[in-house]
Amino acid sequence: MSYIDAGYAIGLGTLAAYGALLWVRRRRLERAVARSAGQEP
Amino acid sequence: MWRDAALVAGKDLRIELRSRVVLHQVIPFGVLVLLLFALALGPDRRPMVQAAPGLFWVAVLFATVLAVQRSVAVESGDGVRDGLRVSGLDPAGVFLGKAAAIGAQLLALEVLLTGGVLVLYGAQVRSYGALLTSAVFATAGLAAAGTIYGTLSAGMRVRETLLPFLLLPVTAPVLLAGTRAWQVALGAGGSAGDPWVRLLVVFAAVYLALGVAMAGALQEAA
Amino acid sequence: MTGVPGVDAPVVPGVDAPVVHDVDAPMARGVDAPVAHDVAMPGAPRPWGPVATWTVRAMGVAAVVCTALTVWLGLWVTPPDAVQHDLVRLVYLHPPIAWVALYLAFGTAGLASVLWLWPRTRSALWDRLAAAAVEVGTVFTALTLVTGSIWGRPTWGVWWAWDARLTSTALLLVLQLGYLALRRVPGDPDTRARRCAVAALVTAADVPIVHFSVVWWRTLHQQATVLNANLSPTIHGSMAWTLLLGFVAVTLAFGWMLAVRYRIEALSAAAEEAELGAALAERRAEGLAVGSGAAPAGGPDTALLHGALATAGQPQATDAEALCPDAGHPVAVESDAGQPAAVRLGSAAAERAQ
Repeated sequence: MSYIDAGYAIGLGTLAAYGALLWVRRRRLERAVARSAGQEP
Repeated sequence: MWRDAALVAGKDLRIELRSRVVLHQVIPFGVLVLLLFALALGPDRRPMVQAAPGLFWVAVLFATVLAVQRSVAVESGDGVRDGLRVSGLDPAGVFLGKAAAIGAQLLALEVLLTGGVLVLYGAQVRSYGALLTSAVFATAGLAAAGTIYGTLSAGMRVRETLLPFLLLPVTAPVLLAGTRAWQVALGAGGSAGDPWVRLLVVFAAVYLALGVAMAGALQEAA
Repeated sequence: MTGVPGVDAPVVPGVDAPVVHDVDAPMARGVDAPVAHDVAMPGAPRPWGPVATWTVRAMGVAAVVCTALTVWLGLWVTPPDAVQHDLVRLVYLHPPIAWVALYLAFGTAGLASVLWLWPRTRSALWDRLAAAAVEVGTVFTALTLVTGSIWGRPTWGVWWAWDARLTSTALLLVLQLGYLALRRVPGDPDTRARRCAVAALVTAADVPIVHFSVVWWRTLHQQATVLNANLSPTIHGSMAWTLLLGFVAVTLAFGWMLAVRYRIEALSAAAEEAELGAALAERRAEGLAVGSGAAPAGGPDTALLHGALATAGQPQATDAEALCPDAGHPVAVESDAGQPAAVRLGSAAAERAQ
């Protein structure tokens, strides 16, 4: 694998992974807030 | 503001005179760092002499962290910081006073470490004026930045580990510029030292101004 | 990176209602008192309106599309450079990432911090935006270094070189990590916001100074600069367009990440409030039950927690692991000097509240 391919793979791969992480975190939080908010009197 | 600064500086320096923590702990620590560097760089003096300006400033930077920690610690007693807040002292004055006290202690440290560098590493001074000018402005910058971060982290339990990590990267330009300026002053090579002294002046000015401007916010953040 | 369906979650009626604290409970005093009312009440964040949601979603999709296009153009369509041959292809990625990290992310964080510190514009929005910008910016800064290093290896023969750009970027990364560490220090949101805003400004002031000092370090120093990582001076034709596209793609990606990270920040503030409110309600209910002689439900650990909450006004750090033995997540009971303790409860407490 050439350096260029490695560069693209690592660069874009990291961005994609971080983006996915953010998306999952947000969804989990939205569910948690909805759940506990549903308990508020 | 200046009167309050003098008041706070006097208080801090008087505490130091009585407790002598900086004298007995911080300054010897600086000398110790020089010793450790000597051990690291080997018995041959040549690498030491070449690296002397940089090693000096690294030692000063480490000692600055300790001095700042100490300056914050004297006020960490119960309610002391709150007392300072409600005392009516101008926060900017408090900032300047603490910075001045730290700066004075650092200058004393630097005098001793200069001696250490000259003796231990065999460095030779080409221009005392350049040495002094750059040291004064570098110290002002270090004291200002240190006081800002010290006040910022005053209320935190993790201050001991976090303060060095916060302060040292910010003072990197001082290390760079101080080293280059001292390289010229110690005759260890390098071109003119003027741009570096100018950078030190800018750094000191910027951080003193920042500290004064944000003193109020800083005090509330503690 | 896929689309953002999560943003369209149906509006939960309860989410809008502000979380009410019983002022008498010792914990509530600790949480409410330091939160000045010049900061927008954290409460429950309003779900984003359709315009904002659609914009963020569109940004995400556009980012993916532009990135894919850039990869295709960059790796296959554009010709190799006369000097650098195929190595030039990283120019479509590395400079855009660097630009976003150094200017967009840092600029946003600095501006947001100023806006928070200025009393007239103070709002929790700016604090959260700054935090989001710094975290996303840190990822981009690290990537700048990594892609730069990967580019440097075949070009200069070394993985790392102390040239001006890399050195100042490395320092910037450390500064940002410092901000993130500061952000994690436990404390009430207002103090944390203030500390971080001040730190961000102090750091931002340092950036130009670092830049100049490092550049002078490299040029005034009498050593010959062997490394010249510049591209051929003119970049034209399809390469120029691809470069522009690269900038657009990375900027869009940053925008999307910033928006999502900001949303996460707002949501986690709300989640903490909700957990706290629920746990308090449960403790109070138990207190009433104990007061009327009935045994408290929930076992020994809830009684311990009850006792801990009652004494939490004292500036001591208690090891919450002992209090919530079945808590799956780390819990911190931390009090800063002179301030009432703030309690963050783990999911075990939240689950019990449901």
